Amino acid sequence: MWTTEQRQRLGLENAILQREGFDQFTVYWDKQNDTYYASGVTPSNSGRNYGLHISIPSGFPDERPSMYVTEPFPLLLANGNRVSSLGTSHDMHTLAPSSNGLVQLCHWRPARWHSGIRLQQVFLKGIIWIEAYEQHLATGRPLAEFVSTMAERA
Amino acid sequence: MSDPQQQQMIQDAMKAIAQRRPGRTKLVYDKTKRTIVAVAEGAQSARALNITADDADMFAVVTLSSRWLSDRWPLISRDRAIPIRLSSWDDGDALTQYDLGVQPSPADIEGTVILGEGASPPDGIQLSIVRTDDVRAADPSRFVAPNGEVHRALAWRHVNGHGTQIDVAFVDVQPALATRRAGILETTVLSDKTVLFIGLGTGGAHAAIELAKCGVGHFILIDRDRLSVGNVVRHPGGVSQVGRFKVNVVRDLIREKNPDAEVSIHPVELNYQNRDAIMELVAKADVVICGTDNRPSKLLINRLCIEANVIAVYGGAFRRAYGGQVLRVRPKQSSCHECFVAAMPDEASDVEISSTSDAADVAYSDRPVAVEPGLSLDVLPIANMLAKLALLELLADKKTTLNVLNRDFDAPWYLWLNRPEPGTQYASLPPLSESSDEMTINRWYGVYFERDSDCPVCGNFISTMAASYGLDLASLENLPSPPRKKD
Repeated sequence: MWTTEQRQRLGLENAILQREGFDQFTVYWDKQNDTYYASGVTPSNSGRNYGLHISIPSGFPDERPSMYVTEPFPLLLANGNRVSSLGTSHDMHTLAPSSNGLVQLCHWRPARWHSGIRLQQVFLKGIIWIEAYEQHLATGRPLAEFVSTMAERA
Repeated sequence: MSDPQQQQMIQDAMKAIAQRRPGRTKLVYDKTKRTIVAVAEGAQSARALNITADDADMFAVVTLSSRWLSDRWPLISRDRAIPIRLSSWDDGDALTQYDLGVQPSPADIEGTVILGEGASPPDGIQLSIVRTDDVRAADPSRFVAPNGEVHRALAWRHVNGHGTQIDVAFVDVQPALATRRAGILETTVLSDKTVLFIGLGTGGAHAAIELAKCGVGHFILIDRDRLSVGNVVRHPGGVSQVGRFKVNVVRDLIREKNPDAEVSIHPVELNYQNRDAIMELVAKADVVICGTDNRPSKLLINRLCIEANVIAVYGGAFRRAYGGQVLRVRPKQSSCHECFVAAMPDEASDVEISSTSDAADVAYSDRPVAVEPGLSLDVLPIANMLAKLALLELLADKKTTLNVLNRDFDAPWYLWLNRPEPGTQYASLPPLSESSDEMTINRWYGVYFERDSDCPVCGNFISTMAASYGLDLASLENLPSPPRKKD
């Protein structure tokens, strides 16, 4: 059951996305199941479209949301294997994939997440990951070489 | 020694020495028999032995609760005899009433308490409760019946028809424990207080036991882990407890120190799915002690404690326990854990990796992180501080000697360093002996920082964030429904 504060926060998160140039992403409310998620399709610098999906957990914003790449599907490595086959990977900044094989991106690790982080920042990390992923496709080198683990500041 | 009469004389003489009473029998060393013998007073003896009370304190002792016997006084007055179950320790050297404590003994035996001298039973332990006025008030074998009559207890262990006398000690557990605390605390000042413990690792378990010793009356324990062999070098639970849920181990340790304490146990995971159940427990507590090293659980507890307006104390060791920290949160008055994370992210993330699950949380990827627990003696200062700060909060509305400490412990966050750990900002601390005003190891430092008025948990995060983006919360559009899936 969502609290009034959580619903208000999610409404505000959506408004910030729309106002701050992230309007390719939207926070949705599934009234029937009373669940929330945020998603959208964003183009990379090369013009390729990527779908990003953030599942909003019941403990949001204290609980860290998970972010997945929904398209292209399946998402492939430079060697042709599925990214999801790596599971949790430091080299590719990925966490355990979803049950249906979507790649989960590591944006903030659980031990670093806190309630002050906004969905806009999470999507921003997703966009950065996409650019690094395309560098991986172009060079075959690990994604981590293009996007290092970020310094932790609130 | 085969002569029962001689053996009884030696025992009487030793007992008299142990009780510092002059006896009528002397103990001498018989060169021909190469053993100690007892000689009646006035008899010619070769050489008396110089045996002190400490040497003579060698008799087995049976310990039982005077409250237990008082409760059964009508029964024993009617039946003249009642059974008693005794824990047997150290090959029968110490016999303790079975339900006096919590920890099981290697063996237990049945005995009989009889009123008056009674006949000797064939074998076993017999306690005789004998009416007398000839017993000192301080004599541990003295028992005052509910009707005011004074008695002395005598005990024998009968083996093959031969009886050996055993000392008897009556105890009133709770008053005796309270007397030891009375110098600092009113005896019952904490008996109505409730402390909720989240996480019963080394720090949480030690803090729980310390507060039990102080007389806290109610404990709520949450931890889903079982005690492992690896825990034993740090945890108060021992090898014989391995495999048990930590909540059960710590409950028993608490009751060993405070038998009247109420302890409710919850071997459950702390997560947002059981948020409501955890909230119910938080709301019952006067203080919450959070001893987990896991960020998500701390954030959840922080949220619940702020909502329930319950004071929380968070503690943890840094990696390899080179130091540690304690944060006290007074809701809406001092910084909450979220404020702390925002103000000091590095300190908030510096945690000890004391288990594989801790390592997995920190590693978060396929690059392993080594399990590097610190020493117990380096964790205990932090556990003590957790208990101390919790104690001060529990006593906040009471008048006690410890109130003077409120001026010393007024900071929200406390830092302790066990060593100048290489690779940290504390690597070049001056030696302890050379510093008078610089930071050193082995000292607590109170650190002050302001509560974040725009904190997402205890502040006005949403309204401030809306204002910073020029948004009016009242006029936000409803969130859209999910788009229909394409066929």
